[in-house]
Amino acid sequence: MSAIEAPLAPAAPAPIRDRDRWVLTGLLAVPAFYIALMAIVPALLMVQISLAHRDVGGLWSPGFELTQYRQLATPLFARVMGFSLLLAASGAVVCVALAFPAAYFITRMRRRAQVAWLVFLLGSLSLSEVLIVFAFQVLLSTSGSLAGALAAVGLLEAGQSLYPNFPAVLTCLVYLLLPYVILFFYPALSQLDPEVEQAAATLGASRLTTFATVVVPMMRGQILTGVLLVVIFTFGSYLTPLVLGRPPQWTIAIHINNAAMAAGNVPLAAAYAVTVVAFMVALLALTRTLSPRREAAA
Amino acid sequence: MTLNVGTLARRGFLTLVALFLAAPLIVVASVSFNDTRRMSFPPTQFSLRWYQAFFGDGAWMASLERSLTIAALAAAVAVLVALPVTYAIWRYQARAAKALAGIGAALFLIPGVVAALMLSAFWGETGHVGRLENVVLSHAIVLLGIPLSLLSVGFSAIDKTQVEAAHTMGARDSDAFRMVVRPAMTPYILCAFVFVFVLSINEYLIAYMVAGFTVQTLPIKIFANMRQGYEPTMCVAAVIFMALGFSAFILISKIADLARLMGRTRPLDA
Repeated sequence: MSAIEAPLAPAAPAPIRDRDRWVLTGLLAVPAFYIALMAIVPALLMVQISLAHRDVGGLWSPGFELTQYRQLATPLFARVMGFSLLLAASGAVVCVALAFPAAYFITRMRRRAQVAWLVFLLGSLSLSEVLIVFAFQVLLSTSGSLAGALAAVGLLEAGQSLYPNFPAVLTCLVYLLLPYVILFFYPALSQLDPEVEQAAATLGASRLTTFATVVVPMMRGQILTGVLLVVIFTFGSYLTPLVLGRPPQWTIAIHINNAAMAAGNVPLAAAYAVTVVAFMVALLALTRTLSPRREAAA
Repeated sequence: MTLNVGTLARRGFLTLVALFLAAPLIVVASVSFNDTRRMSFPPTQFSLRWYQAFFGDGAWMASLERSLTIAALAAAVAVLVALPVTYAIWRYQARAAKALAGIGAALFLIPGVVAALMLSAFWGETGHVGRLENVVLSHAIVLLGIPLSLLSVGFSAIDKTQVEAAHTMGARDSDAFRMVVRPAMTPYILCAFVFVFVLSINEYLIAYMVAGFTVQTLPIKIFANMRQGYEPTMCVAAVIFMALGFSAFILISKIADLARLMGRTRPLDA
């Protein structure tokens, strides 16, 4: 197999010369030091702290014990992880269902409209999560126009607020993620060959049929990665569930933060965090096995 | 183009998405221009009093300046780290550089709160706590994936035959860099800088956990303000953020091909 493909493969890169080696060392020394210091060291430190002994007063002393991981075998942790997963899954479904068609339509627009949409999407990221959460509070509050309108048509009792509850948390999360997910789908969908859709149309398929039976299956891998993106972000979200939710709607992020800051139990927070990352890596592995294999050219 | 059910449905859907995305921006902006102290929407009476309050308040201005400084430095660090890595991958296919870029991409797998915890533990261990540079270096590492991916898109879009032609005509590496690589990369570098800048200036949790008690950035001050009881002054900061963000991206769309920067390679007709 590889023997047949070999002549078609691009020529191997020229061997790196001695002078290039020095250039490379010069180029990569500072980035390598920075990345090792700020990414690898903190990650290893977190694993170490999660296994360390908790000292009263919020500090920890080096050691090797599984005390904190044993604490994870509680109904509370299982419930919080379960809720975080439910929120992430709902967020992913809503987000992808909105972002995928939106990105598809945008890639088929004329240049001016397309660039205007891109500016709008990128510009909408320039509002801090703090302020988005606040804006949703105003929109969903008792005195807000939305609650007023719903009360006027009898869908809501007068004087009732639309938060804190699960739909408020979900809506705000979808809001925060939507621009990212649309921008994530944009390159792949813009690369999609229009001839494929034209071929389907020639065979008599309607636009909707083409979209559902040709475009969506072709993008299966991208869609799965988009879902993963939403899940990772949701597991890390702190402000949205804190402000727009009640304690039952608190995600693992709030519990990590509470353990570290309020309870001063950094080893427990670290054990939570290590478990969450392990969970993300497992999800990534699952996504990889479910995705169609990438073409060699990609 | 004939207007059929499909076209109507598509336009309706996109209008709803646009309205949804615009709603919080409109709410925040209108609260900042509303005369009353009560946080409500829609606004009742136009006023600039909160703008006067914001610009006349030393604490708000100090937070704004701090956030702008952090964002500019974090964006510069992230781009300056990503540039040699992506160049080494493009020019030499260097394995070490690919490994570094892989770590940068893996950081995207880490939820925000975990990154915040990791970095606050790290700074705690170094004993160098509560400093502005902690936030700068922490933001730059967490957001490193953005310049890494944007710049590698940029390098892959450079026509290698042009570089080879320059070499054939006797140009040295540095000349080829100046004539071909630098002009082609400028829009990507600019876009990566603005992207990191915008995300850094808005980031709350990492800034708070790394140095929040002493380095009060604008999002931290806004959140503290929200908890203590509202003041529309905080929405002025939001309007400043939006003005900055939108003008930066509009500027980029004027001087560069934004569709291409965002990863479109198939040519687009006018």
